Parts: sequence; structure tokens; C-alpha cells
Amino acid sequence: MSKKGLSILIVAIIVVIIGIIIIDFIGNNALNRGGNPYEYNVDEYKEVDPSLIHYKETKNIALGDIIPRGMDIFKGDIYITGENFLKVIGIHGVQKLNISLEESGICVLARDEFIIAGLEQEVLIFDHMGKLINSWKPDTETTYITSLAILNNILFVADAGNRRVLKYTTEGNYLGEFEGKSESDDQHGFIIPSPHFDMVVNEFDELWIVNPGKHAIENYNEKGELRGFWASSSMNIEGFTGCCNPAEIAVLSNGSFVTSEKGMVRIKIYSQSGELESVVAAPEKFQEEGTAPDVKVDENDVVYALDFDRKLIRVFEKKLSE
Amino acid sequence: MAENKKLDRRDFIQKGARITLGASLAGIGIAAATKASAEKYVWQIDPFKCTQCGRCATDCVKNPSAVKCVHAYDLCGYCDLCGGYFKPGANKLETGAENQLCPTAAIERRFIEEPYFEFIIDEELCIGCGKCVKGCGAFGNGSLHLQIRHDLCDNCNECAIARVCPSDAISRIPASQAYIIKGNFTETQES
Amino acid sequence: MKKILSRIFLLLLFSFVFFAAQSQQRFPKPEFESGYEQPTPTTPEPRSAGMEWADVFVLLAVLSMASWLAIKKRSRKGMIWLSLFTLIYFGFYREGCICSIGSIQNVALAFFDSGYKLSLTVLAFFLLPLIFALFFGRTFCAGACPLGAIQDLIVINPVSIPSWVRKTLDFFPYVYLGFAILFAATGTDFIICRYDPFVGIFRMNAPYIMILLGVAFLFLGMFFARPYCRVFCPYGVLLNWMSKFSKWHMTISPAECIKCKLCEPSCPFDAIEIPVNEKERTESSVRKNLKRFSFYLVLIPVWILAGGFALSKAHVFLSRANPTVYLAEILITHPELKTDTENLDIQTFLESGKSMQELVEEATLIRNKFRRGGWYLGGFLGLVLGIMIMNQFTMRKQEIYEPHKGNCFSCARCIDYCPVEKKK
Repeated sequence: MSKKGLSILIVAIIVVIIGIIIIDFIGNNALNRGGNPYEYNVDEYKEVDPSLIHYKETKNIALGDIIPRGMDIFKGDIYITGENFLKVIGIHGVQKLNISLEESGICVLARDEFIIAGLEQEVLIFDHMGKLINSWKPDTETTYITSLAILNNILFVADAGNRRVLKYTTEGNYLGEFEGKSESDDQHGFIIPSPHFDMVVNEFDELWIVNPGKHAIENYNEKGELRGFWASSSMNIEGFTGCCNPAEIAVLSNGSFVTSEKGMVRIKIYSQSGELESVVAAPEKFQEEGTAPDVKVDENDVVYALDFDRKLIRVFEKKLSE
Repeated sequence: MAENKKLDRRDFIQKGARITLGASLAGIGIAAATKASAEKYVWQIDPFKCTQCGRCATDCVKNPSAVKCVHAYDLCGYCDLCGGYFKPGANKLETGAENQLCPTAAIERRFIEEPYFEFIIDEELCIGCGKCVKGCGAFGNGSLHLQIRHDLCDNCNECAIARVCPSDAISRIPASQAYIIKGNFTETQES
Repeated sequence: MKKILSRIFLLLLFSFVFFAAQSQQRFPKPEFESGYEQPTPTTPEPRSAGMEWADVFVLLAVLSMASWLAIKKRSRKGMIWLSLFTLIYFGFYREGCICSIGSIQNVALAFFDSGYKLSLTVLAFFLLPLIFALFFGRTFCAGACPLGAIQDLIVINPVSIPSWVRKTLDFFPYVYLGFAILFAATGTDFIICRYDPFVGIFRMNAPYIMILLGVAFLFLGMFFARPYCRVFCPYGVLLNWMSKFSKWHMTISPAECIKCKLCEPSCPFDAIEIPVNEKERTESSVRKNLKRFSFYLVLIPVWILAGGFALSKAHVFLSRANPTVYLAEILITHPELKTDTENLDIQTFLESGKSMQELVEEATLIRNKFRRGGWYLGGFLGLVLGIMIMNQFTMRKQEIYEPHKGNCFSCARCIDYCPVEKKK
């Protein structure tokens, strides 16, 4: 090749190199980059048949700049606790009582005589004026209280940290505890991989406890003996998914369960024997990979969901047509 | 004589320029040294910012990526129903390939005792795609998370993943604390 | 032990910070009855800081060696062995990082981003070759640069290209340097590292586009010697400035040049200054040249203003290289993209909870930096261009064969061609 030819070739190659660099530099941006080839996709499970959804969101109450952790509905008032407070607000959002706590409240239970707040490691009992009546601590370092229930004047305290349910009188006297192990070998007691461990007492005075690690809801008597259970494990709408669901439950007046799941957040209603009856809110209504909303039901079977991600109390009522 | 003068002048210019350049170099050096740190810095992912976009697997200059999944056992629930191990809608909770979420089958599932299972990351196979991290974070405790492994990382001057990370999760941190391993904590909020 | 303790302390501190910030909770893990012992996550140590300092000392040693070989020992052979060592150590063993060329960006960023922590070792990598160049010429290029070494070893059939092409290409490193500093200073990108063509070869691992570039450079380098050094290397610009005024520079002849012309074809980089025939200088040609020279000298401010104006006008376009600016811009111009679930950057931003206003404010700040940077960069490039054109009309007085002090890489090839050397 002649010297001139070579020179032209050299310049051409240099121009091409510069061109490649410039094109790569300009072209490699947010618009031209594709999606995630390793996407964890649960979209197909998020879609819910609209005919299954029997509820609609009728209103919601914004909570403002607080960090809520748990709530209860009692006689038309909302009892809500969270980082360093316990509040009572009316159904229209008017604050009726505000108690500041030294630690974060995690769960709350209201009755005629008192309001019980569960902190991580302490049970506090207030009267309806906000005065502290009684308080005590279970004496285990790993205690993590997640839920409260009262049955026949026995206060049940769910201790997720030790995978057990503690029993007290409402004065704070220790009555015993149980870990959910039945006599037969096929039970492992409560499996609680994360701090989600809920209990509820229904209209028929039955104590139902979630066993999240087994996707199960189990019925216990006062002594802590397993009387029955049902479980449903599936990513589809019929079941519970993930490692520890349902995270929260409530009961309707007919004994049906309202369940709330984390991960793929959804609120559903199951019959007492564990058949899916309807859906309250589909995953599309919540933040992706969100926290399970705390769910409670009032005497008219209206479902209240405490949406932690959006800091809202969301009210779901049955659609009239269905 | 004139010749000499010219040479002198040239020398003078040369010397003057040399001193000027030397002084500016010294200036830059000193000014930069006031901002410098004797500490070595390395790239690391903040697992609390990471959104598992998959770019750690595709954009690292290393192939396979120097980003690997790290298991913070302290956080693990040792679940049978591991959201990081099984793909969504897995038929059976078995180790069959069709049930696994990991594209390279880099997670080993071992039975410990009823009802607990241990999950171990095989770093040889892991490509750092973060699929399991997403599954674990969504349905589990978030014990799986991505970290840049410094035995594999070239510590590039500018990390190619950091440049494309949509959540700005990758930054330089002192080499004396080269990892941000998730601790004894869970991220989930409790009610 | 102390180190471990301090590490544990830091880890605790770290965890504590997260605890407070994210209000996370401790949750006890299962108790195992079968005696299962929980493994702890491994954390392989990064290369120690001591080793980084060892690199600085290796660089210092190699630079000293190269300077000695070029100026005192005058040995091309020694230089070949030295560059081979550099190629293996800084190239294949250290995998091309950190290198002096890339360190420009770290230093630039340190000046413009107060939060950026510049490593002292990186600063040493930036300064040492320049200091050496100020005294001994570009001996860094000859023996201590792995990029130079790999190109130097594949020079097979170098051709000399026309001087006007060469001089045009001379301008490009300034452009590259200017943009590298602009992008580094605005925290946008490290383009020198990103488009380092040989790092992929050193690591035997790179995206395909970089492999392509590496191969293209090597192919080009067979007949256009050291293409990266001559047409791209931004660090070469700084070395060039230093070397031009170096105190002791390598010479072709150890004693007096006898103007035998033998060294003329020895330099593959066209960096040998050839004596100017004084007889060609007529009174009129001198006057004509001087006139042109003065004209272009006066023109320099115009170049500066034009360059600054042009690039500051281009700041909107340039700032798109910054991911934040680009994201803000596409979100404003294409709001429909917010529903594009495939676009991870947009989706991640929307989920981050950061408001659009914050993003726009951040982007505006960066864009303003680009506008200011555009003025500086354009002005600088205008100045360089003006001087380059003006220099076409300088009256160069050249009586002997000697290396062009700015462009010469001190590779010592020419030394072997000098008969004066042989006689000695």
C-alpha cells in the first residue's frame, strides 16, 4: 500500500474510533437501556378477577407525620399506636385523646374498661382518660409483643420473639403460656420468621392465632390446646404466599376471617373453614412489596386497613350491588 | 556575542517556564493534598438503597460480576417457604430446578431440623442479579442482599455499575469497613 | 486485634445508624436443637492500603529507572525490558488501575466536589510522572505507562503521515482532556477510564465495545505508532507541557550532532526536529511570516471567546451526559414515560419518594455547572487552537537533529542510530 493510502487508512480508523466512542457515549442513557433481564416478576399473580372483589374503598383518613404501628376499632373510635404515641381518633379524623409513650407502641386493644397498649417488651393498661392504670414486662430479653386478645377475662399476649402466647389476668398476673405444640408429632408450634404474629377472638368466643410460617390460622382453647386449623399456601389469590403470611387478621361478625398479607399486599376474606370468600383489596391498591396493613373490623363489618406505607387508614365497605 | 545573548534568553525562558510549571504543580499538589485522605476507598452497595434492578449482573466490568448475593444469617427466618429460593408459584417446595428462582441455581437449600432450612449462596455460580434479593425482601426478612466482593472487584477508578445504578446505591467507602452487611435487624415494620 | 475491635465497633455504629434511621427492629432467629451452628457472612478483604503504597514505590522506581536509561545509560534495550516489566506489573497484574492518566479525573473531581475523598496514592500517581517530566522529559511514557508499553511493543511498520494531518490530530488530546475534566468535575462520568482501550486486554474481560476498541487500537498501532498516546492521551498533554521545559532531556547524540541524517527515520513518532535550512530564509519571507504570526496572535482572544461562546451554548446538549440532568429532562419532555415499566431509571426515581422539584433543582444546578464549564472549556480549546495556528508561523531555529522535547516519548530508539554514539 502506498504511503498516501496508508495515511488515509490511519485517519479513517481514527475517525471510526472517535465515532464509536461518541456514539457509545451518547447512546448509553436512561432512554436506551432496556428493562431488567433478571426481573422478579409476580405480575401475573397480582391480577384479581374483578368479580371476586366485593368491597370498595369508601374513604380514608390521612395520619400525617407520625409512624403508626398498630390500631384497633372500638365503638366507632379508632385507637392507633405507633412511634411514641397512643391516640384515639373519631371516625371523621378528630383526635380525642393523645398519650405520649416513652417507647414505640406496637399493638393496641380497646375495651369498655380500658385501653391496652403492647410495646415491644411491655404491656400498658390505660383508662379512657389516658391515665396509666397498670403495666408489666414479661421477663424475657427476646420478647417481641405483636398482638393482644381478651377471652373470658384472660389477656393473651402474642410474643413473636419467643414464638409463644402469654396469658395474664387483666391485672397483670401471669397465668401461663403456650407455644402451640399439640400432642401429635406433625405440629411444630408457631413458626414466626419475622415479627408478624397476630391473634383474634371472634363473636363465638374462639381464639384464633395465625401461624405465619405455616400459612395457617389455628384455633386454640384457653389452655392453649389446638382445636383446629386451616392452611392455604399459594401465590394465587386462593392462598397465602411468602415466608410469613397472613401477617394480620380480623374477624367479621359471621366468623369469617379478614386476612392481610405482606410482600404482595392483599386483603381477603376467608370463611371460618378456610375457603376464599371474596377479596377486599387487590395488590394494585397498595405499594409494591409493601408492609401488610393492620386490619380491623367494626360492628357493621366495615373493614379498616392501616396502610403503613402511605400512612392512611383506609376504609373498605361492601359493595351494595353484590 | 549576539548568539550568546540569544542562548541566554532561551535558557532564561526555559528556566522561567520550568519554575512556573513546577510551582503550579506544587500548588495543585498541595491544594489536592488538603482534600486527600490517606485511607483507601472501595466501592460498595448500600443494601438499604438497592432496588435490585439487575444491572449489577449486566454492567460490571467483570464477567461474571464481582457483585454477589450475601446472606445475613442473623436475619434469616430459615423458612421452608423461602421467597428467595422458590420462584413465584413454584409447584412444590422441593429443590427441583423448575422450582428455583435463581437463574444459575446458586442457592443451596439444606435441611437443618424441623421446620428449618438453611440457604447457602454458592458464589462461584452467583451472578449478582439480585432476583433472590427481591424475593427475599418482598416475602421474607430481607436477609439476602447484594455486596461487592473485594476479592473479585478490580476497584475501578469509576465503578461501571455505580454509573448506571438507578438508585445511587453504590458509593465509595473506606476500605477499613469495606462491607455493608445487613445486621441483626429486619426492615419490615410491625403493627 | 485492635483493628478487629475497631472494625466491630464501626460495624455496631453502622448498624446503630441504620437502626435509628429505618426504625428497624431486632428479631430473634430460631433456636436450633440439633446443634446447628450459624455461619457468618464472609467478607474478603480488599487489597490493603499498604499494597497501594507499594504501587507508588514501584512507580517511583520505574520512573527513576526509565529516566536513568534514557538520559544516563542511553539504552533502548534496557527501556524495552523496563516497559515489558511495566506492562506485566501495571498492566496485567494491576489490571490497568490505578493509572496516572485516569488520575486526572480524580484530582479534578476532588477540586470541584468537596465531598469527594481523593486517595493520597492516586495523587502520587498523578504528580510523580509530571514532576519527572519537568526534569527528565516524558520518561513516564517510555517506561512507566502500561498503555504506552503495550503499544510500543507492537510497533511493526510505522509510517510517517503528512505533517498537516499530524498537527490536526495534535489538537484532539486537548479536546479529550478538556471533556474528561468537564465530565469529571461535574460528577458525570470518568470518560478516560470508561474508554481506556487496553484495560479490557489487561483484564482479559470487558464489554464487547471495549474489546473492539482495543483491537482497533492495536491494529492501528502496528503502522501508526502509539495511536492512543498521540491522538488521545489526555495526560500526554500535561506531560508535553512539562517535558517542553524539562531540565535534562534525552538527546539523540551523546556529544555534538554531526547532522548525518541517520537518525531521521528512526523515530516512529515523527518527533525528531530536523535542521532548518537557513538559506531558505529570505528577508521577505521572514517579514511575511512575522505579519501572519502577529495577525494570528491578535486573533487568539477571538478564538477564546468564540470557543467559550460555542461550548456554553452547547451546555444543554453536553449536560445530557449527566444521568440526573437526563432523567429530569426526559421526565419533563416525555411525561408518558412514567408509565413505562421497562424504564428502570424512571421507575426507580418514581419509587424513591424524591419529588420532581428536587430532581429538577439538582439537575439545574448541574446544568449551570456545565454552562460555566462550557465557557472555560471552550475558552481553553480556543486558546489552544489559536496558539497552534499561530505557531505555524513561528521562526523556528533548528541547527541540529534533536528530539521535539514536547512530543518525544524518550523511548531511546534514535540513540542506537547515532554514529557518534557508536564511536564512543
